[in-house]
Amino acid sequence: MNTGLRGLGPRLRRSGVRIGLLLALAALAAAPPVRAQVVVLDGADLLPVSGARITGGRVVMHDGKLAAVGPAHAVRIPSGAVVHDHRGHVIVPGLVDTHSHLGLYPRPNVPANADGNETSGPVQSGVRALDAIWPGDPGIRMALAGGVTTANIMPGSGNVVGGQTAYVKLRGRTVEEMRIPGSVGGLKLANGENPKRVYGGRKQAPQTRMKVAALQRDLFVRAQQYREKGGDGDGKRDLDLEPVVEVLEGTRTVHYHTHRADDILTALRLRDEFGFDLVLQHVSEGALVADEIARRGVACSIIVLDSPGGKHEAAQLGIETGGVLERAGVPVAIHSDDPITPSRLFLRSAALAVRGGMSEDAALRAVTLEAARMLRLDERLGSLEPGKDADLVVLSGEPFSVWTKVLETWIEGERVFDRSDPRQQGWATGGFLAVGNP
Amino acid sequence: MRRAPGLLLALCLGLVAGRTGAEILVVDADRLHPGNGPVIANGRVVIRDGRVSAVGPRASTPAPSGPVRQLRAAVATPGLIDVQTSVGLSGLYNVAADQDQDERSDPNQAGLRALDAFHPSDPLVRYQLEHGVTLIQTGPGPANPIAGQAGIFRTHGNLADAMAVRPVSALVFNLGEAPKRTYGKDHKLPVTRMGTAALLRRALLDGREYAAARGRAGGGLFGGDEKPPDRDLAKEALARAAAGDLPAIFVAHRADDILTAIRIAREYNLRFALAGASEGWLVADAIREAGAPVLVGPVMERVSAPETLNASYENAARLEQAGVRIAIRSGFESYVPKTRIVLFEAAVAAANGLGREAALRAITLGAAEVLGVDDRLGSLEPGKLGDLVLFDGDPFEYTSHVSAVVVAGELVHQR
Repeated sequence: MNTGLRGLGPRLRRSGVRIGLLLALAALAAAPPVRAQVVVLDGADLLPVSGARITGGRVVMHDGKLAAVGPAHAVRIPSGAVVHDHRGHVIVPGLVDTHSHLGLYPRPNVPANADGNETSGPVQSGVRALDAIWPGDPGIRMALAGGVTTANIMPGSGNVVGGQTAYVKLRGRTVEEMRIPGSVGGLKLANGENPKRVYGGRKQAPQTRMKVAALQRDLFVRAQQYREKGGDGDGKRDLDLEPVVEVLEGTRTVHYHTHRADDILTALRLRDEFGFDLVLQHVSEGALVADEIARRGVACSIIVLDSPGGKHEAAQLGIETGGVLERAGVPVAIHSDDPITPSRLFLRSAALAVRGGMSEDAALRAVTLEAARMLRLDERLGSLEPGKDADLVVLSGEPFSVWTKVLETWIEGERVFDRSDPRQQGWATGGFLAVGNP
Repeated sequence: MRRAPGLLLALCLGLVAGRTGAEILVVDADRLHPGNGPVIANGRVVIRDGRVSAVGPRASTPAPSGPVRQLRAAVATPGLIDVQTSVGLSGLYNVAADQDQDERSDPNQAGLRALDAFHPSDPLVRYQLEHGVTLIQTGPGPANPIAGQAGIFRTHGNLADAMAVRPVSALVFNLGEAPKRTYGKDHKLPVTRMGTAALLRRALLDGREYAAARGRAGGGLFGGDEKPPDRDLAKEALARAAAGDLPAIFVAHRADDILTAIRIAREYNLRFALAGASEGWLVADAIREAGAPVLVGPVMERVSAPETLNASYENAARLEQAGVRIAIRSGFESYVPKTRIVLFEAAVAAANGLGREAALRAITLGAAEVLGVDDRLGSLEPGKLGDLVLFDGDPFEYTSHVSAVVVAGELVHQR
């Protein structure tokens, strides 16, 4: 791999490591860790997403932010910078996954680990993904090997109201370190057959789509009343209603699992009635009601799969949805739904959408800037622009080719995945337990 | 499905012969992968009466005179082969009404046949066909230790019997987690891997003894003092496997499960293949020594069950490099998506060490060899059936498309 300290000999590089160790020891005494070093990624073609392709580009990262992005001839290398040679590579923004279950459905999938669906009742607005995300999930390392840097980690779709989602960066030993400061997160809702399956089998509510919608409508009405009264009236807080009030006030986004066209319209009907910020999730039959979605300007985060089926509501799912929605003028993101599709092949999902008729530009936006917008993080994420977080992915070639490899993933100026390290390759290709990865 | 008429296919340059007449199809491809040799630049395949009649460079392979249908493509390959799936038995909707792959009433289902549940009009059969898969070995799913008999089928057609190329092609055994999950919760055999192995041994022994007793009873003019045992179709299948007449497929993921399969197969002299084999790359030498081909994959399955935690995109490449014969399968999916596609699986294998040619071989001629149908299928050679797939670019690129599918000289799908 042609990264390294350009212009320095091996000896100096080794001593650099020693100096680095000393600095690291010194840093241990002085928290928080400093990211003062200037790092330059030099020579790669840049796909900034916010603008046109830059051939032979240069990226300067400083203090966790992008300090400069442009053609190499137009961007000065700051003195003292560590320069990595990436000629022949392609750099894209860190990938943003708008629908993931990393840490909630960790590897391995055994009941001891599964914390995605609180199926003790169908309305769970009070539960938070934050309280169950396992930062040690090997899936997080696998996602980094796929270039994913930011994720909306959501409860599952077994409940009509699944709980509060968390917007995180895929780094850190604690969920506090992972959580994106200032982000509120979303509220997960679901309709269609999953909640029916969970509760219908027990002869509990909901058993029908009518009841699914009724439970959601009831929650929103109770939250309206709670808000109007300024609380319960007797001074007690209601932790189940507070996040729903945030939804009504527009500070928390509803991420709504919905597949069938009529289910999509039910979600839109609730949104029309209560006026919340809505991202439709999955949207398998979105092509059938693209005009209804477009008319409202509602964003869609879609899933792309190898085949349809597996359940009735996914029977019409196809790779054409992204293209149809794009042409209808709907904002489109593409998600992994990890572990439904593997995060380490996240770019493949976008590539299959291109196969299905989406433009390459829109498909790349769908896993970067458009995705960030749906999480209301586009001010700081999703494109290679000075001032934004230094989250990026170094690719061996064009982003939508099967032959392309994710070489490196960077979050806020730190390299969090490096394929050239044999101990890390297993995260990209598999067998990470057998080869004893860190 | 979007249509791009005229973009990729220049159709009907001559008169299209009727189904009853002599039908000639000429396919020209910028890159022709015949399957049994190097890529032919500007290649041509001529198919007459459903069979390949000529293959070569266009310049030296004249199109026959008379009425021909002509197709053009960037790339053409032999029809793709999926060496193990449950498509056709495990339907799209995943409701009880369309799930016929796992007979959970007893762990020994050696007597069941895929043919009796194969549903030609399930949408996933067509979905496979539209991705270039013209032949599948399909059969029972993962639930039972002795799952039943697989068959080899066309993906094009309306009648299971007519689509069956070989109605009974293999006896399927499952090791590892799935059989335990099926019966363990009710405290029935098998609850453990030990139980699964013991059940298999007992059943194979029963099959062998059954065959011996039938043979003794029926043997010779003066034989037959012994009353023959009543016919038992499950034992007959097991006896055929134990006699090497019916190949066995052992689905096994963890390295120790793979070694258990090899151990049992050796004890009973089975002719066998391994399938799934997520940790195959960890015991590649043992597999090579056992002489068993591996039906690899799928590797894009949800890497979540403990037994598939070490699944590797490099599995196919590492096994091949160790000298193991490989083919690629779509396997079984229990949820969303309802099936994998060997074209996609081979693409990931190709990009992770296997390379384009070997990956293509693993879903064409190599797959036909493993299934024992390479005399008729798997490559574009004169005399073989005219199954081929046309692409508008690199077959393994995510963004390429299958532009047309031909089965026995008949154009059955075009984009």
